Amino acid sequence: MSRYLGDAWALPYLDPQIRPFFTSGVIRIQLCRSCDAPQHPPDDVCHACQGTEFTHRDSAGLGTVHSFIVVHHPVHPALTERVPYAVALITLDDMPQIRLCGNIVDLAPEAVSIGQRLRATFEEIHDAETGEGLTIPQWETLTS
Amino acid sequence: MQRRAVVVGVGESSYYKRGAAPETEFQLACIAIRNAVEDAGLALSEIDGFVSHMESRNDPMRLSRTLGVETLDFAAQPWGGGGNGVAAAIMLADAAVSGGLAKCVVAFRALAQGQFGRFGQARMANRLYGAANYSALYGLLSPAHICAMQTRRFMHDHDISQEALANIALACYANAQRNPRALRHGKPLSREEYHASRWIVEPFHLFDCCPENDGAAAIVITTPERAKDLRKKPVPILAAAQGLDAGDGFGAFNERNFPTAFYRNVGSRIWERSGVRPADVDVAQFYENFTGPVLIAMSEMGFAPPDGIEEFVSNGALEGSDARLPFYTSGGNLGEAYIHGFELINEAVRQVRGESTCQVDNVELSLAVAGPGFSPGSAVLFCRD
Repeated sequence: MSRYLGDAWALPYLDPQIRPFFTSGVIRIQLCRSCDAPQHPPDDVCHACQGTEFTHRDSAGLGTVHSFIVVHHPVHPALTERVPYAVALITLDDMPQIRLCGNIVDLAPEAVSIGQRLRATFEEIHDAETGEGLTIPQWETLTS
Repeated sequence: MQRRAVVVGVGESSYYKRGAAPETEFQLACIAIRNAVEDAGLALSEIDGFVSHMESRNDPMRLSRTLGVETLDFAAQPWGGGGNGVAAAIMLADAAVSGGLAKCVVAFRALAQGQFGRFGQARMANRLYGAANYSALYGLLSPAHICAMQTRRFMHDHDISQEALANIALACYANAQRNPRALRHGKPLSREEYHASRWIVEPFHLFDCCPENDGAAAIVITTPERAKDLRKKPVPILAAAQGLDAGDGFGAFNERNFPTAFYRNVGSRIWERSGVRPADVDVAQFYENFTGPVLIAMSEMGFAPPDGIEEFVSNGALEGSDARLPFYTSGGNLGEAYIHGFELINEAVRQVRGESTCQVDNVELSLAVAGPGFSPGSAVLFCRD
């Protein structure tokens, strides 16, 4: 599948903290083993109890647009042909304290608005350099 | 702390368009510092401390050697990368002088973006590392993008229109017309031109975004005792603050108070330490990297509740010396020059001295609020001696 920002756009370096979010095929959020608090972005120490051991919690992948921007001026040469594009900030239904950035793959930038209901979708990418398969979380409009 | 340190000198280099400075960045820094020290009537050898913010090239070791400093007793910078640290640098100088660690501290910032590349520019390779993945992978790359995300939600929550953002930009451009040093001097901006200008990132038009410039600015801070026989009337630091509210110290828009400009705690501390209220302030400089976060910072500093901030900045409330809140009277980052906000410190001091090109009558209290949208925030309140 073709990527929202183009197939030439950057890819993540998969360190152990990053890996679950971008390879699991679900919205996978860091969870503290001691106190069960989810946090994003992942960190080395739990912000609620200072625990240092983590597992994860999978979201059902439903969310709402909390804020968004529409980028017109490309700040990177690889995006010159891609502007305008929208970046949304999404709150998760089942972990409302978590906010994720994402693109809404089925909406034109001018059609994005706060409060829109979304469902997670995933860009499946083969990283030719590392040989790894990635599932980059993205979003599409939820039609009930 | 509470009038135990005073500003005695103000100076700057010429300000230039990005890349247009004939001087190197280090030369600009030395020119600004020399001008500030000369303005004070001090000798360069008397400097015994340096503070700056986000300064990586013009370090105190090189400066003290070059300027002929007798002994260097204090050198520090605040944490946090961005214009949010400009008032925190003054706070460090205040603390050093008040605490007896140094007697004559120079605070400064120099930028030559032609020599060293553009500042605040999104830089990335085709591989993203660490937490950058959670935003940059989706095309959220620059300070403008970050501030736009905060601003959009703030506008939504408090029913704020594009006109409120326009009012910030128009006030800066209007005040710049009185300031011959301002790069936008002689180039006024109309509301129509503002709205017709291209989008950079919605909700920011071109004129919501500060330019990129080359230049340097500096002030000199010393004790009230040393200030007695100097050339200019001293300008005491009444209060300074830097900090964060609970839960706000984490990125990617997961701060507890999102959308915040990181000024809740700074506001509380400034009024607590000074014993005055926002309504007592005669003139205010609010760092405008982009117009939107200024609205958030103004409300978090206590000038108006978020729901009333659009009305607070409407009807020319910020423009000119007799405005309801005379605001960025030099033209600011947008209209004077983007010296990473240090020009707002110089202007805040000049207002107390009575030396502004947009001078407010009888200034008792002059506030400078550093960059919004990046943490931790900082602010400094100057007063009449």
